[in-house]
Amino acid sequence: MRAIDIHTHPILRDDHRGRGGADQLIQRAQAHGIRHLVALGDVLAYGRSPTEAQLRKINDDTYWLMQRHPGVITGFCHLNPTLGERAVRREIERCVARGFRGLKLEIANNARDACMRPLMTAAQQHGLVLLQHAWSMTKIRQRSFHTDPEDVATLANRFPNVRIIMAHLTGCGVRGVLAVKSCPNVVVDTSGAAPEAGLVEYAVAQLGSERVLYGSDAPIRDFAVALARITGARLDAQTQQKILHDNARALLRLP
Amino acid sequence: MNYFDANTWTGRWPFAFNEEHSPRSLAAHLRQHGIGRALVSPLDAVFAPGPGPANLKLLRTTEGFAGLVPVPVINPALANWREELTARAADPRVRAVRILPRYHNYRLNLPALREFADELVRRKLRLIVQVRLIDERHEFHAMNLKPVPPAELRTFLTFRPKLPVLASGLLRSEILTLASKHADLLADLSFAEWHDTIPHLLAEVPARQLVFASHTPFLVTAAARAKISTAQVAAAKLRRIASGNLERWLH
Repeated sequence: MRAIDIHTHPILRDDHRGRGGADQLIQRAQAHGIRHLVALGDVLAYGRSPTEAQLRKINDDTYWLMQRHPGVITGFCHLNPTLGERAVRREIERCVARGFRGLKLEIANNARDACMRPLMTAAQQHGLVLLQHAWSMTKIRQRSFHTDPEDVATLANRFPNVRIIMAHLTGCGVRGVLAVKSCPNVVVDTSGAAPEAGLVEYAVAQLGSERVLYGSDAPIRDFAVALARITGARLDAQTQQKILHDNARALLRLP
Repeated sequence: MNYFDANTWTGRWPFAFNEEHSPRSLAAHLRQHGIGRALVSPLDAVFAPGPGPANLKLLRTTEGFAGLVPVPVINPALANWREELTARAADPRVRAVRILPRYHNYRLNLPALREFADELVRRKLRLIVQVRLIDERHEFHAMNLKPVPPAELRTFLTFRPKLPVLASGLLRSEILTLASKHADLLADLSFAEWHDTIPHLLAEVPARQLVFASHTPFLVTAAARAKISTAQVAAAKLRRIASGNLERWLH
C-alpha cells in the first residue's frame, strides 16, 4: 500500500516536540507506507487570526520541512485573509517562490467572506490548491469565522477554476458531502474527529472515487487509525488506492 | 493477539449510515477483524421509554454466541431499575451493566444512583458509564446532548470507591485527566487518539487501566484494531490492553 497524506501538521506546538518531533512524525508516516505528506503549518499556534509576522514564522517552519525532506513534503502556505490584499499577496508570492503548492485556511474568517477574493485570484493565477478548514456548524455555532460545508460550496461556485480541498469529511458529514456534490472543483479529505463508520463509503457513492482524498490531521490523529478509515471501508482495492494515493498524486502533480 | 472488545452494539442507530447488527452479524463482523470476544449492548435501549424489552431481546438473541458477553442497559432514573437489574442479573452471563446518563437525562449525582451503585457492589456486578456515544459536534441537529463531564465522573468515582467502573467513550485528554487520579478506573480506547495513541497514553496512565474498544458499529472497527496492532509498545502491555485487562475486570 502506498499513500499520500493530504492533511498533516508535522510541527505543532500542542505536540511540544518542535522540529525534532516533525522528523519522528515523518518517519512514522513512512513506516505506515505514506510516501508523501502535505504540511499545512502550525495553524493555531498564534490563535485563530495570526499576524503577518506570525504567518511568516509558521510558513518558514513548513519551508524548513520541505528543504529537510525533499520529495517527501509539499508545503501549503498558511494565510489569514483578514489581513488584507497586500499582506496576503506578499505572503503568497514569498511562498510560491519557495515552491509551496497550495494555500491553507483555518478559522480567521468564513470562506464566503469578501476578503477571500484576493487569495482566490492569486490561487488561480499561480495554479495553487486551496485546503479550506470546514466543519458542520450545526452544533458549533461559530459560523462568523468558522466555515461550514455550505460556505465551501459558495466559495467553489464563485471561483470555479480554483481546486479546493474541503477538510474533515467526518466533521462535514453527510450534509457536507451533499453541499459540495455539485461543485466539481471541490474534493474532500477524510480527516476529522473519530473514524465514524460509513462516511467514506457515502462520500464515494455521492462524489465519485476521484473526489475523496486520504488525510490524517496528524499529529492530532493516529496514522494507523486514519489509514484504516479507508482500508477498513467497504470499498474495492482500486477505489481505496485512488483515495489513499492516486487522487492526491494527480491533484498535486507529483511524480 | 486475542482481542476482547469493551464496546459494541446491536441494533440500529437512526442518525447515521451505520450497519445494523444482529448478534450473528456482529459476531461475524468482529471475527473478520480478529476480535474473538466483545461486550455488547442494545442500541434499542438508548431511546426507548425503558430499556427492558431491548435487554430481554439482547439476552435472548446472544444465546449461542459464546464470544458475545451481553451487557444490559439500566436506567437508574426509572422507578423500576431494581426490578430490571434483578431480572437481567439472573442471567449468569451478565457480569456488567451499562448506563447512559445523558441519553437518559440524569447526572451522576442522581440520588438513586447511590443505591444503584451499592446494589451493583452487593451483586458483584461491574458498571460501564457511557460518557458519549458519538462526537457531540455531530449529534443529530434536533438533539441537545453533551457528554458526561470528567469532573462529574470524578466526583462519582470518589464517592463510590468499591464499585468497579469502566468509562467508555472518553477522549484522550479526558483519559489523562481521570485515569491518573483514579487508579481503579478502566478507560476504553474507542475515542482516544493522538499520533502515537498508545505510547502517548502509557506515558501517564498504567497499561492496566486501558482496554481495547472498537465502538462498533459507530466507528470503523479496523481503525480500533490498528490503534493497538501498530503501537510500538512491549507485547505484554499490548496483550493486557487488547484483552487481559477486561478479562481481569470482569472476573
